Amino acid sequence: MDASAIYQVKLEVFEGPLDLLLFLIKKKKIDINDIPMATITKEYLEYLNHKEKINLDREAEFLLIASLLIYIKSQMLLPREKVLDEEKDPRQILVDQLLDYQKIKAASLLLRKKEEDELQKWKRTALPSQFQEEETDFMEVSLFDLAESFFSLMQKKEKKKIRTIKGKEFSLEEKMKEIMAILKGNLFIDFLDYFSQQESFEEAFVSFLSLLELIKSRIVIATQKGPFQPIKVMIRQEAYVKRKP
Amino acid sequence: MKNRLKEVIESLIFISLEPLTLEKIKNVLQEYPEEEVELAIKELLESYVTNERGIQIIQSAGGYLFSTSPEHDLWIKRLFKMERKAKLSSAALETLSAIAYHQPATLAEISAMRGVDSTHTLKTLLQKKLIKIVGRKKSPGSPLIYRTTDKFLAYFGLTDIKDLPSPEEISKILEKEKDIEEEESSVH
Repeated sequence: MDASAIYQVKLEVFEGPLDLLLFLIKKKKIDINDIPMATITKEYLEYLNHKEKINLDREAEFLLIASLLIYIKSQMLLPREKVLDEEKDPRQILVDQLLDYQKIKAASLLLRKKEEDELQKWKRTALPSQFQEEETDFMEVSLFDLAESFFSLMQKKEKKKIRTIKGKEFSLEEKMKEIMAILKGNLFIDFLDYFSQQESFEEAFVSFLSLLELIKSRIVIATQKGPFQPIKVMIRQEAYVKRKP
Repeated sequence: MKNRLKEVIESLIFISLEPLTLEKIKNVLQEYPEEEVELAIKELLESYVTNERGIQIIQSAGGYLFSTSPEHDLWIKRLFKMERKAKLSSAALETLSAIAYHQPATLAEISAMRGVDSTHTLKTLLQKKLIKIVGRKKSPGSPLIYRTTDKFLAYFGLTDIKDLPSPEEISKILEKEKDIEEEESSVH
């Protein structure tokens, strides 16, 4: 159990099956151009066997290469009636792929070094905006956070089973105006508060779309202090001037 | 007169958020002869190398750009209350390097090179604008083809795509790995 756990972690470390193969080749000090198929196939399969469950999303690729290894091994075992001149080594596909991959991997290491160098040079593009600088405590909320809060709230409301019959229709434009009016009166809107006040699902839904529209047009901004903190909506001010206390 | 030109170019570079290309500088300074502009740029760059300054003008993605000196990283991070800047994941880096060296490339080609399905990584790289879709390949299924962007060059501090680590540099790294292995095996 313990041993398999270790191997499981290890498999995650490899970028993919080619990465694992290269690792095995290096470990065994094998010449990439002359791979002993039996040894490497055995080693490779051993690694895979240490995984208890196969996660098809990820390990399918490992299995694909495993089958390639077995295929090549079988090709090499089969006796041939006559050896063709310049017969292609069945290992060639694998070798080509490995050599290409090795180059990509080495290049990515060089790029990593360049990335590190470059990240130490700060450019004006990287400057946090004025707003973020003043309000370091707030993070901008992503669309998904908003949607998640909204739908969990709506689910809660649904459980109450309040049924209302209403003839009124809500328009995006009106709601946007309403939200802006509230924001001009108050400093911010508490996201959950605002939606729990809405009477019907339709109204809440239109309000939600209006809010998204306002965020998209960069008129308002949704922020929160940290994960699971209340979401606050306020007017986005590019040149946000905070009065010093 | 020449000195003023140098200072004008300095302002132009300063005010640009993206690398300012030579072409653009020449366009703006159209009343001056091209050679004069080029000379002024050269002098400007030299003045930044020789003077003791916290900022420098770097060449990035085919243009000029102001950046801070790498030695000041620590204090800038402190100013912005940042622990460290986010780096690309190794999967993203590997995918980028596969595209960079084999562009234009399709998803299938990239995945085959890496031996790993790269759909998700490509999406992330597209979002980060490090790669872009440049069209469709005229082959079955007409798959999308991808290329690296100027932002990719700027991100890695490359002036041109030709600046990518050369095959020689790559084989050097591979040789080095081999040497280390041999040393290790001789120790054991």
